[in-house]
Amino acid sequence: MASPSVIVEHVWKKFRRGERHDTLRDLVPSLMRRAFRPRPASLRPEEFWALRDLSFTVSPGEALGVIGPNGAGKSTLLKMLSRILRPTTGRMVLKGRVGSLIEVAAAFHPDLTGRENVYLQGAIMGMRRAEIARKFDDIVAFSGIEEFIDTPVKRYSSGMNARLGFSIAAHLDPDVLLVDEVLSVGDAGFQQQCVERMRQLIARGTPIVFVSHNLPAVLQLCTRVMVVDHGTVLFDGEPAAGVAEYRRVPWARKAAAVEHETRDIRIGRVQLLDEQHEDAAVFAASSRLTVRIGYEARRPIRGHFAVDIYSADGVYCAGINSRMDRRDFGVLEGAGVVDLAFPRLALLPGCYVISVGILDANGLGPLDVQHRAYPFSVASDERDLGVVHLERAWRHESYASVAAGASAAGGLE
Amino acid sequence: MSGHTRMQTVSSAPPATPASSVFADLREMVAEQFEYREVLRQMTLRDLTLRYKQTVMGFGWAVLMPLVNTAVFSVIFTRVAPLDVGMPYPLYAFCGLLAWNFFASALRFSVTSLTSNQILVSKIYFPREIFPISAVLVALVDFAVAMLPLVALMLYYKVPVGAPLAMLPVVVLVHVVFTTAIGLLLAMGNLFYRDVKYLFEVAITMWMFATSVLYPVQRVGGRMGALLGLNPMTGIIDAYRSVLLLNAWPSPTLAAAALVSALLLAVAWFAFHRSEFAFAEHL
Repeated sequence: MASPSVIVEHVWKKFRRGERHDTLRDLVPSLMRRAFRPRPASLRPEEFWALRDLSFTVSPGEALGVIGPNGAGKSTLLKMLSRILRPTTGRMVLKGRVGSLIEVAAAFHPDLTGRENVYLQGAIMGMRRAEIARKFDDIVAFSGIEEFIDTPVKRYSSGMNARLGFSIAAHLDPDVLLVDEVLSVGDAGFQQQCVERMRQLIARGTPIVFVSHNLPAVLQLCTRVMVVDHGTVLFDGEPAAGVAEYRRVPWARKAAAVEHETRDIRIGRVQLLDEQHEDAAVFAASSRLTVRIGYEARRPIRGHFAVDIYSADGVYCAGINSRMDRRDFGVLEGAGVVDLAFPRLALLPGCYVISVGILDANGLGPLDVQHRAYPFSVASDERDLGVVHLERAWRHESYASVAAGASAAGGLE
Repeated sequence: MSGHTRMQTVSSAPPATPASSVFADLREMVAEQFEYREVLRQMTLRDLTLRYKQTVMGFGWAVLMPLVNTAVFSVIFTRVAPLDVGMPYPLYAFCGLLAWNFFASALRFSVTSLTSNQILVSKIYFPREIFPISAVLVALVDFAVAMLPLVALMLYYKVPVGAPLAMLPVVVLVHVVFTTAIGLLLAMGNLFYRDVKYLFEVAITMWMFATSVLYPVQRVGGRMGALLGLNPMTGIIDAYRSVLLLNAWPSPTLAAAALVSALLLAVAWFAFHRSEFAFAEHL
């Protein structure tokens, strides 16, 4: 494997919490301190470490997905990789031109035309003027807003803005690409364009760091996943296992609990179990998968359970709920679990993610839902295309003489 | 292959590291300016284009303001309180106001150059020096445009020019260096303490009256005169008058101003560069 394009070595980053109460009187001494004193390693009471001793590398051909709860340090990491912030201590090296799909239209000025903004944003992204001029027509064509290129950007819709910005970023030919939740903006067509462009770059071997909460997208695009929490790496390795690790760590549930404190019933622990009733993230095709949904009811209540399965690229594979299955669990009290078993999992190899919900007695209103929270992958040497494995049988019957007769009849008419 | 779960031993604090060497920083500062020269160009163009688009008069404002002020002060210092400046007063005042206007407007743009580009500062990286430097360059273009009426005035008063005019680029360079140094400090100061913007407005007015813009401050004399003698802007503005209007070589005060400007720029730029990475955290 080629030498790493991104090297992060023992990186620490310190932030201050709370408000600053700086006065003008402190200006000169603080500037002097900033400029000439060594960076202090110790922590004052109002300070905390946003990143602690982070080390990893990304090599050409790798697409690293960084996942973790809010406040884990993901964005801080990305800001440091894009040089907006500098590590308190530690070393960070990015080789070659760094492209980012972060804030692709940040430099746009509303009073300038699309054309003028392409040159401005292009320069800020690191392109020479000659390079922008050469690629200009391609950039505009890719964005699909040729007609409006000489219109001030303030008259653009936000979608047009994003398209033009993305189009510039897409023509950068970076040596390293940084992506931050880009898939959450723009319409479906635009998102698909983003994903396609990222795929192209990955195929070309461009190393990518992709920070996202969008687990299906991470599973779809990344060759490696890093789980970050409290500024440290909890896991670094195979994507499905990484996503499973992310799911196992208690903060996911803690965050949900805070949000749903006032609900009559809420989803407790959700497990994906294999044939041995063990927690698993990877299932063999046609093996048994059991979704075990824990619940905690604050008062006796009737409810139905729903499970949706999506493929990593967002295809809705199956929607199952206990009311449609005419299954009644009666009045739910206290805590318990409901198992939904798939005796022979008919999904093809790939990455999937499950949503879990508890619905009201009519099976309509959701009482508690966890969208696309539980990923898993299916492994096998199955050759089918698509998402489902259909039970099947082939049969062949030959009607050779009839077919010849029909053709002859056609020729006579 | 990339490994599987990696157990990390997390220490509670990082090892202390010394500040990076001054030399490495200087090299980085220069290399970055070269690497990002296209951004400086585009940012300067952006601000010029914007002014042209957003205002009806465009560059006309750069000419009008010193002309109006010259007219007003010409009335005051030729009719109300006549002042002998050794040349026609309108020439004296217009030249001074022109040079001062470049200084003041470059700084006025610089002060808010970081805070008014918050999104760029907090979301995209390029050397932040580009903001105040492009503010200075935009003002320099205005300065060049406003030179035209000065040339007209010089023709009207039949001012002789000769060899000392060759020093004009040097005077402009010293002026630009000094302005850039102050601009870097103000932009950085205003980012950390927003009071700087208001303080600046007060200071720049006082500074003008402490400089040989409308009258020769050398006449103040005494202890206050000595204090005013330390103001590099007087040396710079008087040097403009020497080479443009008096057909004389600049006095040694320009050399002193040049030295002060160069040192100040080095310190200001270095401090700016070192605190650059705190900018995004402060906005």
